[in-house]
Amino acid sequence: MTRLLVVEDEEHIANGLKFNLEAEGYSVDTEETGEAALLRLTNEPNTIDLVLLDVMLPGLDGFEVVRRLRLAGSFVPVVMLTARGETDDVLRGFELGADDYLPKPFDLSILLARIQGILRRKMWLENSATVDLPELLDQYRFCGRQIDFSKQMMERAGIEQPLTLTETTLLRHLISREGQVVRREVLLEEVWGVRQDTDTRTVDNFISRLRRAIEDEPSNPRHLLTVRGVGYRFVAKPGDAS
Amino acid sequence: MVLSEMRRRKVLFVGLLGGLLIAVALALNIGWIVVNWRTGLWLLAGIISFAVLIAGLVLNTAFLIREIRTTEQHNAFIHAVTHELKTPLASIRLYLQTLHQRDVDPARRKEFLETMLADSARLQSTIDQVLLAGKTGAATRVVNPTDIDLAEVVGECVTVAGRRHHLIDGEVEVIDRLPEGEDAVVMGDREELQAAVTNLIDNAIKYSGERVRVAVELVKFGARGVAINVRDQGMGITRDELKRIFRRFYRIPGALSARVRGTGLGLSIVRAVARRHGGRAYAESEGAGKGSRFTLELPRKPL
Repeated sequence: MTRLLVVEDEEHIANGLKFNLEAEGYSVDTEETGEAALLRLTNEPNTIDLVLLDVMLPGLDGFEVVRRLRLAGSFVPVVMLTARGETDDVLRGFELGADDYLPKPFDLSILLARIQGILRRKMWLENSATVDLPELLDQYRFCGRQIDFSKQMMERAGIEQPLTLTETTLLRHLISREGQVVRREVLLEEVWGVRQDTDTRTVDNFISRLRRAIEDEPSNPRHLLTVRGVGYRFVAKPGDAS
Repeated sequence: MVLSEMRRRKVLFVGLLGGLLIAVALALNIGWIVVNWRTGLWLLAGIISFAVLIAGLVLNTAFLIREIRTTEQHNAFIHAVTHELKTPLASIRLYLQTLHQRDVDPARRKEFLETMLADSARLQSTIDQVLLAGKTGAATRVVNPTDIDLAEVVGECVTVAGRRHHLIDGEVEVIDRLPEGEDAVVMGDREELQAAVTNLIDNAIKYSGERVRVAVELVKFGARGVAINVRDQGMGITRDELKRIFRRFYRIPGALSARVRGTGLGLSIVRAVARRHGGRAYAESEGAGKGSRFTLELPRKPL
């Protein structure tokens, strides 16, 4: 059974979320503070499939929880919920390693759809022999790097580096269309499962994170290329593509 | 956390820049005195203009630092109000959508409705607080005052607060210490006085932590005055904070205050209401962890 953790100090919202998520067939645990959530997620890794995380928590706030979680090597998908919906906050959430972000007050059906979308992506990565992209194996090698999609790991020169679910999914989409230009809007729809309500800068933000992970010089990328005003293109062997 | 770090850096930068400029001006002034010490008129003119320059720099730096602080407090207030408005709204919307989209059994339905009522009350109180802060912000007198019995106001406020915070009997105690045969009638605005007393009681409860022990006393003060004392055994207030807490938007920094909801308007409203009624409001505390006592003093209705 899919298990979700709701981290929310507002009792009413936590109860409402729990009721709805349980009605959808998920098993739901709740925590009131960031500290308790971190402890739970690090002590019992792999027991939670997705975290719904409020930003304005007493003590450790949601941003800090996500940052520490990623630092501790946990790459459980995190959806952030917050009353602070300004672009800067959204980008900061993504920058620190959140997979998705919903401003409060949110629409229940959108929230449920996002959760479903992320869980589907997670399944898709875990069972890599998928129908969507059959030509892609579970592992992919290019220029001395190896990406392991199901483990969400990248290895370069013997050093393993974990990737978040969203980073891995984005990379996979770009790699599966190697050499072709992929539009930002297409990436938003395929990777995030959203159409209009997320800024396309979200994509840019994740691309720069990916560049830091895979490029030798992130400021002078050779694999993840920007196509001005359109989107991005992945090139496995620079020099081949013109 | 990040916000206060940024603010500290900004204040440090402005302070250093101001200090540097003042030092340069002082050095130039001394240079001027050394060069022109024999020419009486030039010397005097120079010293005066340098003094003006230095005073201007000092004022400018102080003003800038104050502005930065105010802006930061204002931002914190906007954040707090946003949170206080959006959270109950998000909750109400969530429950409405739940009831709209799902079959909910009658018991649950009732529970959800109660939750929504509580959230709409919370929303209402934040809105009232913001509107009242705007209204009492101008330090004029109350318009069209009427006779108000403070004993009655206190009684009502305690009952309402007890219900809102789900308190049991005895956690908030009302003690009437007025001499036999004396009443507590003042001339004023009922809504404002209620808000002031409610804010004091709410604060006492909110900052008490787990164990709520609050006493609300009505006492005589001076020949023609009446005071409301609200005592708690909560987190207390340090000496430095005693005055600051009455400032608009000010909230006590620190972990415990992060667990307490609020907008930073409550006590500024209490003080404004006191002034508009010709009285005053102040706080006393033995220090952190030792509880505190808030007093609202008002003149009684003239005979």
